[in-house]
Amino acid sequence: MIPCIESGTPGFEELTKSDDGTGGIPENSSTLIYGPAKTGKSIFSNQFAYKGLLNDEPCLYITTDQGIKQLESMMFDLGRPIEKFIENKTLYVIDTTSNLSEGKPQQTKNIISSHIDNPTDIMVKVGVGVHYVNTNNTRFRSVIDSATTLLTYNENMLIIRVLKAYLMRINEAGGTPIIIYTEDSADKIVETMLKSMVDNIVRLDGKELTIEAMKGIGKRSSPYQITDQGIVI
Amino acid sequence: MKKTHIPKLDDFLGGGIPEGSSILFCAVPGVECEAFGYQILNGIIEDGNKGFIFTNVAEPDNILYEFNQYGWNLEKYLDEEKAFFVDGSSYSIGLPPMGKYSIDEISQIEGVITKAINDVPNGVGVINNLSTLIDYLEEDKIIEILNKWNKHAKEKNTILVYIFTKWDYDPKLIKDIKNSVDCVVSLTSIEERVIIGQGFMVTSASWTKPSKNMVLFFVLQPGGVKIYIPKILVTGPYNAGKSSFVKSISQKSVSVERMALEKFPTTIAMDIGHVDHNGFVADIFGTPGQERFDLMLDVLAKESVGAFIIVDSSAPQTFARAKDMINKTQAEAIPKIIVANKQDLPGALPPEQIRETMKLNKNIPIIPTVIKENKGVEEALNTLLKLLYGD
Amino acid sequence: MIPTIESGIPGFDELTVSEITEGGIPEKSITLIYGPPKTGKSIFCNQFTYHGLLNLDPCLYVTTDYGIKQLQSNMMDFQWFIQNYIQNQTLYIIDGISRLSGAKLEDTNNVKQSSVGNTSDMMVKIGIGTRLVYKKSNHFRSVLDSLNTLLAFNPDQMVIRLLKAYLRRIREAGGSGIIAYTEGNANQETENILKSLFDNIIRLDGKNIHFEFLSEADDKIYNFKSTYTITNKGLVMKKK
Repeated sequence: MIPCIESGTPGFEELTKSDDGTGGIPENSSTLIYGPAKTGKSIFSNQFAYKGLLNDEPCLYITTDQGIKQLESMMFDLGRPIEKFIENKTLYVIDTTSNLSEGKPQQTKNIISSHIDNPTDIMVKVGVGVHYVNTNNTRFRSVIDSATTLLTYNENMLIIRVLKAYLMRINEAGGTPIIIYTEDSADKIVETMLKSMVDNIVRLDGKELTIEAMKGIGKRSSPYQITDQGIVI
Repeated sequence: MKKTHIPKLDDFLGGGIPEGSSILFCAVPGVECEAFGYQILNGIIEDGNKGFIFTNVAEPDNILYEFNQYGWNLEKYLDEEKAFFVDGSSYSIGLPPMGKYSIDEISQIEGVITKAINDVPNGVGVINNLSTLIDYLEEDKIIEILNKWNKHAKEKNTILVYIFTKWDYDPKLIKDIKNSVDCVVSLTSIEERVIIGQGFMVTSASWTKPSKNMVLFFVLQPGGVKIYIPKILVTGPYNAGKSSFVKSISQKSVSVERMALEKFPTTIAMDIGHVDHNGFVADIFGTPGQERFDLMLDVLAKESVGAFIIVDSSAPQTFARAKDMINKTQAEAIPKIIVANKQDLPGALPPEQIRETMKLNKNIPIIPTVIKENKGVEEALNTLLKLLYGD
Repeated sequence: MIPTIESGIPGFDELTVSEITEGGIPEKSITLIYGPPKTGKSIFCNQFTYHGLLNLDPCLYVTTDYGIKQLQSNMMDFQWFIQNYIQNQTLYIIDGISRLSGAKLEDTNNVKQSSVGNTSDMMVKIGIGTRLVYKKSNHFRSVLDSLNTLLAFNPDQMVIRLLKAYLRRIREAGGSGIIAYTEGNANQETENILKSLFDNIIRLDGKNIHFEFLSEADDKIYNFKSTYTITNKGLVMKKK
C-alpha cells in the first residue's frame, strides 16, 4: 500500500489509481513536473500547494519567476486565494525574484526574500523554512518554481547538487516536494540528472498529461485542459 | 624540529619534521590517511603553535565531528583562535562557508592558502586533500602551486601536511608531486584477497636518511593512529620443531608454562618470542601441537597476520595433522608458509613431494630447513614477510 | 560451464541459459545495469541483493542516491525486509548521501556514513566492508546504486578512478557485483569508458531488457533479450 496525498488536480486521482494506492501523489516522494513552456506546469503545482493548504498541510514555496504579489494575484484568479494562508503562516514563501520596481521586498516571518543568483542563501533559507513548516506538522508540501531559472542564473552542476541536497532535506523532514522544469531549457546531461533525482516524473505538453514514472504505477496518460478554474484532466 | 605525534614516525624521521618542511602522506585507495593530518595538527597545536585545515572533501562541521570522535578538541582551538578552517568544500554544494577563509572559485585557492600560511608562522597547515585538486587544475599548474606554497611555507617556518590518495594517476605526475615535497610517507595495504592490515613507511626525507621500516597501524576512535604489532603464529604437529623455530627467529623468547589465559584452564606450554628483523617487528606465538589445544589455535589464528606451519619432513604420518592445522589458519585468510624441517634426517621428503602428498595449493610456499643447524630459517622468515608486504 | 548465481528476478535465470551457463548472472563477475531514468534499475539491484540475502549471500551495498532510510523504505515497498540482515550483519551498507540531508547518523559495525564528495573516504569504507562480508562468505554480492550522484559531485575522471578501485576490490575478493547508472548522466566518452570496465551489461529501457556478457572461456559475446514489467513484487521477465 503506497500512501498518497491529494494532488489538487481534478481527475489526477482517477488517472493514478491502482491496486496498491488510492491515486494522487505518493507521500514523501519527489516529483518532477516538466514539459514545454506555458503548458500549465505552474498551475498544476499551485493547485498541489493549495490543496495541501486546504488540508492543513503547510507549504514551502520557492518562487523564481513570480514575486509574491504576482503569485497572490495568479492564485486569486484561479479561484484559489492564498491570503489567509499567508496570514495564518501555513504558506512559507521564499521569493528569489528581484522586485526592483517595488523597492525593498516585503519580508515577514513567512515571506522571505532571497536572490536567484545566490543558491547558498536560498538553501540557508530553505533550511529555516523546513524547520518552520515542520514544527507543527510532519506532513508538508514543497514547490520549486522553477529549476529552469535557477539553472539559467547559476552554474548547472552546482544547482544539481543544491537540488539534490534540497530533495534530501525535504525527504528527511517528511515532506512531499515538486520541482518544475521547462523541457530542453538546459543541457541534456543536466536534464537527465534531474530526471534521475526524483521518484516521479509527470510531463505536460499542452494537450496530454503523461505520468512517465510514478511509485507504484506504470506509464499512464490522459488529455487535460487549462480552464479558468485551473487544470482539469 | 616539530614532533608529529604519530607513534614511531618521529623516530623514523630522525626526531620530527623541521620547521617549514612539507610532508606528503601518499595513500593507496582504501587506506585511512586523514587521521595522520589531523593528529599532526592536533599535536602541534597542543605544543603551543597555530594551525589551519584546508578541506575540499568534507565540510568543516564534519571535521569537527571527526575530531571529537578521535577525542581531540578542535572546537576549543577554534574558539581560542589557535586553529582555523580554510573552507574549500561548502561552495560547491551550496552551503554557507565556515572558516576564516573560504573559496568560491577554484582559481582563488593559490592565494587563499598563501594567506593561511602567513597566519600560522612556525605552525602547521593540513591540506585535505590534494587528489581532489588535481581534477580541477592542470597538471603543471598543480606542481607550480605546490612549489609556491612550499617555498612560502619555508619562509614562514610553517609545516605543510598534504593528504594525497594515490589513485591511478599518470606515474609522472605522482613522481613530480613526490619530488615537490620534502618528505613522503607511503600508506599501503596488507592484502590477502581483502585488506587485512595497513602500514606506513617513510619513503623519502630531505633532512635525514629515513629508516625504511614499515609499521602496521590502525586508526582508533578515540585515539587516532596507533601502531599495531602483529602476531605471527607458529604451529604444526607435535615434535616438528616449533619451539626451536621460535627461538631461532626471535631476539628474545620465552617458554611459558601455565599461561593465565582465562579461556584455557589447563596447563599448557607455549613459546612466545619477539622478532625484529630488518625493521619488521612482530610477536611470535608458538602453539602446542596436540589436538586438544586446537581451540587456542583457532583463537590465535583469528588474531594473527601470518603463520608458519612447521612439519617434520621425515614423518609423513603427521602430514594429515599438519593439513588440518593449515585449514584452521586458512579459514582466517592469512598468509602462511610451510617450513619443511628436519631435511637432514634419512627419509626426509623434499618440498615438492611434501606438496604432492599433502595436496597443497601451489601458492603456499614450502621452505626446506634444518632448524637446529639454523639452515633455511632466515629464508623462511623472509618468504613470509614477502607474502605479507609484497616487496 | 561458467558457474552462475541466481539473479532473483523471476524469468531471468531461465532466459539466460546458454551453451556455457546454466542461466543467471556469471559468478564473481561485475555487471553494469544501465538505461534511461526510472526504468527499474534500483529495483533490480535491490531484488538481487534481497535474493542473495535469502540465500545466505552477504551483501556490500553502497548507496549514493538514496540514504539508508529511503533504501529501507524502497525495499519495503516490495516487501523486502532488510532490518534482520542489518542486525545479523550480513548486509553491510555504506551510505554516501544522508549527510547531505543534515541527518546525523551514527556509524555501526556494518552501517557506515560517508560522503559522495569524499571518494577517498568512500574507498576506505569499501575496503573495510569488503573484508567484513568476505569473512562471512566468499560468495558475497555487492551493489553500487548508483553512479549518478557520484557524477554530480565529482569530475568524471574521479568517478572512473573510484569505480576502478572499487571493482578491483570486489574482483580481488571474488564477489559478484552490480553497479547501476542512468544513461545520459555523462558524456559519450565517459559512458564508453564506464561500459568497458564491466564483464556484463544489462540494459533496461522501461519495457525491454537486454543482457550481454563476454565469455572469457570462448571469447564470444552472449546476448539475451526479453521484456519485463515492474510489479509489486519487483521486476518480472515476461515469457517470450
